[in-house]
Amino acid sequence: MSLVVDRISKRFGPVVALDDVSFEVEPGRIFGLLGANGAGKTTSMRIVLDILRPDTGSVTWQGQGNTQLPRDTWGYLPEERGLYLRMKVIDVLRFFAALYGVREADASRTVEEWLERFRIPDYRDRKVEELSKGNQQKIQFIAAILHDPDVLIMDEPFSGLDPVNVGLLKEAFLQMRDRGKTLIFSTHQMEQVEEMCEAIAIIDRGRVVVSGALRDVKRGMGRQVVRLATDGDGLGVDWLDGLDGISITARRADYVELRVPSGTDPGRILASALDRGERVTLFEIGEPSLEEIFIEHVGRRADEDERHLAEAAK
Amino acid sequence: MRSLFPNAWHVARREYLTRVQTRTFLIVTVALALVGLGLALAPLLVRFFEGDPRTDVGLYAEPDTVDVAQLQGLLAANAGAGGDQWRVIPVDDEAAGRQMVRDDDLDGLLSAVRATDGDLSFHAYTDAGSTDPRLLAIRTAATQLAIADRLERAGVDPGQAGEIFAPTAFEVDPVNPDASQDPFASGNGFAAYILVILTFMAIITYGTWVATSVAEEKSSRVMELLITAATPRQLLAGKVLGAGAAGLSQYVVILAGILVGLLAQGVLAERIFGQDAPSQLEGIDFSVLVPFSVFFVSGFLLYCVLYAGFGSMASRQEDVNQVTMPMLFIGMGGYFASFVAMATPNVGWVKVLSLVPFFSPYLLTARYSLAGNVAAWEWIVAGALMAVFLAGALWLAARIYSAGVLLYGQRASLRSVWRAVRVNR
Repeated sequence: MSLVVDRISKRFGPVVALDDVSFEVEPGRIFGLLGANGAGKTTSMRIVLDILRPDTGSVTWQGQGNTQLPRDTWGYLPEERGLYLRMKVIDVLRFFAALYGVREADASRTVEEWLERFRIPDYRDRKVEELSKGNQQKIQFIAAILHDPDVLIMDEPFSGLDPVNVGLLKEAFLQMRDRGKTLIFSTHQMEQVEEMCEAIAIIDRGRVVVSGALRDVKRGMGRQVVRLATDGDGLGVDWLDGLDGISITARRADYVELRVPSGTDPGRILASALDRGERVTLFEIGEPSLEEIFIEHVGRRADEDERHLAEAAK
Repeated sequence: MRSLFPNAWHVARREYLTRVQTRTFLIVTVALALVGLGLALAPLLVRFFEGDPRTDVGLYAEPDTVDVAQLQGLLAANAGAGGDQWRVIPVDDEAAGRQMVRDDDLDGLLSAVRATDGDLSFHAYTDAGSTDPRLLAIRTAATQLAIADRLERAGVDPGQAGEIFAPTAFEVDPVNPDASQDPFASGNGFAAYILVILTFMAIITYGTWVATSVAEEKSSRVMELLITAATPRQLLAGKVLGAGAAGLSQYVVILAGILVGLLAQGVLAERIFGQDAPSQLEGIDFSVLVPFSVFFVSGFLLYCVLYAGFGSMASRQEDVNQVTMPMLFIGMGGYFASFVAMATPNVGWVKVLSLVPFFSPYLLTARYSLAGNVAAWEWIVAGALMAVFLAGALWLAARIYSAGVLLYGQRASLRSVWRAVRVNR
């Protein structure tokens, strides 16, 4: 039985935060919630967690309404990082474990294990404020999973982490998935989703624009991507534009990327190339990237805001 | 509905320990206890630095005018019990006596001579002002001496003269019999006064603590983890119990300081001044502490619960004072009302208001101490109302809290509080 978010809507005064949002997460899967800032990802998560109540709609997990479920069903890593800065790491973690009803001995053992896994065993007795942001984030992750929840919900878990820590966190995700846990995380970094998620939902301005298994979403785009490289100078591929419905979407240094509408057989490209006497070194039929899918549905990149901000900062 | 415990207990424990273990808490608590001790000892210190409370009067009397024992007797009799202490010292040479006044060996010199018409006439040599009660006392005594002297010369038997000067019956009938006569004069009035002030300070100070602590968790964003782990009611109750208990711990230490000061006063006075000093604890009916404790603690919790609710509306700690303003007004209302109530504890509105939970901690204490006529049913009604209000406050505050903790950056106003209560079911 899966997690079913069924037609939830939520208004904050005049602002419509969520409009008829539905999606479904299979148990034991990693699910990605994609959207730009302010699209409604955090609000959706808070409603699933029953921190907020929707105006209409319902959330069920394994057939049970989320208002009836015990709180330890969920583990939550909020986007805003916050811990009691003046407490010791171990004390903070024990405190949250206690709130979830975990016995102190069990909590201590789990904490040791995770600190070891995250390569910060020495920080057990340090004050939280002495830790770097990345390490605080790891502590917060541990706080979210100490009680061994069935569903782990994480808001932008990778933001602010360096590549090494991103790697550690991904490992942790996969390990939890392998233990039968269900993981949901939001992000606007498509690579992470592409790498880890079996299913996704894209949210734009409070509405789900597409959702389902990643493969189905890609196939549902109704087109394919062909990557082609020839032995020639690589730029002499203008003839391709002449072919029906095929367009060049990107010119890389060593290959071109083509978009092929669903009715067209990609094999024609290869045939035409060979007809022209080109020596083909690469011919690959692939699916559109998540990035492209996102842009097509939402009309802009997911991290556009941040790029603007970054440029403005320069 | 999930039960309050054990999560409220976990929250309370964390709150209490992190608060009590800070260096600031320790320093402030010790400092305030010392201030309490100092205030309790203040009368003693004042006495010590003012020096001897006794008034030394030199008497230069021409022969056959006044004798020392006569003056001494009149001054002592007029002063009554617990009044100024007088010592009359005979001086043989008026100029030398005046010099002693200038040297501060005497507070004043009274010279008595017989005028040519046979009457006694007096001169007082002193730097005391004309309204100084000591000077007035001497003047009264001098007048009495002069009259006694005239009577004697007119041939009245000195024994009869004593009857003439016997105090007359004199009763005061107040216009408003409900008004207690000078509430602060009695030990009970003094106790009520202190208790009301302490109640007010505890509510305002520690209520603000609770609100600040909620706002702190919000601004540090630890709140989001908390509300996933526990229900708003659990968090709220735990917060109030933890911060409240920390506040009360400090409060008790300060009270202990004051109490030690008051108890030590008698002993110290004896050591320093070598005589019995009337203790300020005398005549106080300590039974007031029982109802006071019950209503103080429950009223304190009532205020703190609402402080926590309002505190959750603040996004930053700087906003705390603004959002908790309504609580401050209610607290101050009770405080000022109790001063009026102390003067007129038996008026109808005081009786009614003293049953209302926000005011009962103040007003019941005042009424009980000063009038002592709080009926059994009034205790029961006030207690029941308090219980109902506490439950209601917890419900309301939890509603405000569950909506408030996720609202960031909005200007907190009564309207937004109301919206918060309505929106989040």
